[in-house]
Amino acid sequence: MKYICSICGYVYDEEAEGVPFDSLPDDWTCPGCGAEKAMFDPQEESGTGLAGSFERHVSGVATMTKLTPAILSIVFSNLARGSGKQYQGEEERLYGEISSYFSSICDGEEADLGMLQTLVAEDLAQRFPAALESAQERGDRGALRARLWAEKVSRIVSSLLSRYGREGEAMLEGRQVWVCSVCGFIHIGDDAPGMCPVCKVPGWKFDSVS
Amino acid sequence: MERKAVRNLRLCTKDCLCLYVCPTGASDTEDSVIDVDRCIGCGQCADACPSGAISLVPVKYPRQQEKDEDVVSSLMDLAASRARQEAIAEAVGESGDREGLRRLALAIARSSRISAEDLVREAGFMLPQSDGAIDLLRSLVENPPVSFPVESARRLVSLLERRR
Ligand code: SF4
Ligand code: SF4
Ligand SMILES: [Zn+2]
Ligand SMILES: [Zn+2]
Repeated sequence: MKYICSICGYVYDEEAEGVPFDSLPDDWTCPGCGAEKAMFDPQEESGTGLAGSFERHVSGVATMTKLTPAILSIVFSNLARGSGKQYQGEEERLYGEISSYFSSICDGEEADLGMLQTLVAEDLAQRFPAALESAQERGDRGALRARLWAEKVSRIVSSLLSRYGREGEAMLEGRQVWVCSVCGFIHIGDDAPGMCPVCKVPGWKFDSVS
Repeated sequence: MERKAVRNLRLCTKDCLCLYVCPTGASDTEDSVIDVDRCIGCGQCADACPSGAISLVPVKYPRQQEKDEDVVSSLMDLAASRARQEAIAEAVGESGDREGLRRLALAIARSSRISAEDLVREAGFMLPQSDGAIDLLRSLVENPPVSFPVESARRLVSLLERRR
């Protein structure tokens, strides 16, 4: 039997490893991306296991989102980034200023880890499948790509939060936390990974959090 | 299509071939940013650069693809959820005295922002100079929320319109 990582695609082959997947210790993590065991799915012999598991049918989650200050802050920080990529320094600064304005008027949130985990779980169970359905229906490749990257990033966030719940501070002691500046993938380790397992950019695109 | 050369500073290894070939001196500047007023878009520098650090970008970009309403709303739902995750993670990062959790939470906050930006980009806010972005800025200038930086938005609209 083989098991495949739903984030980076690493395949754990029980036969080759000589250890059944279920017997691996709870703190075993994916050699490809550091995800915990729960992020692995059994690979069906017919070969299409991964795609199949995404095809849950979800209806009616999407509602036209209001442009709240929180969303506007993101829209404008993204446009600032876009201006930066086109080397338009003044535009970048002005878009950045407007983004900061909207951040400053957002309703605050409580420091509630449980709520954070709930939102990530809701995304994985409802919002990602809904986005998959609409993007597939319209054949929107760009939306499919962004959705897939974001879903993989949510999986690693969910995985890291549950690992932290089990291992506590020991999980992070003496280790750096790295974030991919392109897709948001999070890596824990002494160095940045050679390549982002989600969006495939080289390691220098990662920043460490201090 | 009119183009200008831009240099990616992170890729530039200061091999300086671009300085040797540039007919206008546009690529030789004290801050390493190519002078757009001098650049005539001939592309000599990009061809010569051994590090692939220079590319030629259009002065005016094409209109964006139309986006379907259902796709937009489902991506925006995800971005809205990510926005809340960012705010919660920031609050976690700022509270308490556990050093590891602080860094993990700040990483999650940053990750949420990066990912949300990517989602809104695919929901129709890709290009800074697109109609959608300019319309949004205009509507904010006309009906500004309390202490909104109106002058900055106005200036931004005029900069963007030039490049549309
Ligand atoms: S030729 Fe390329 S590497 Fe050399 S200075 Fe110019 S941009 Fe930098
Ligand atoms: S495109 Fe031509 S003019 Fe512009 S910087 Fe390169 S070599 Fe100089
Ligand atoms: Zn993996
Ligand atoms: Zn990445």
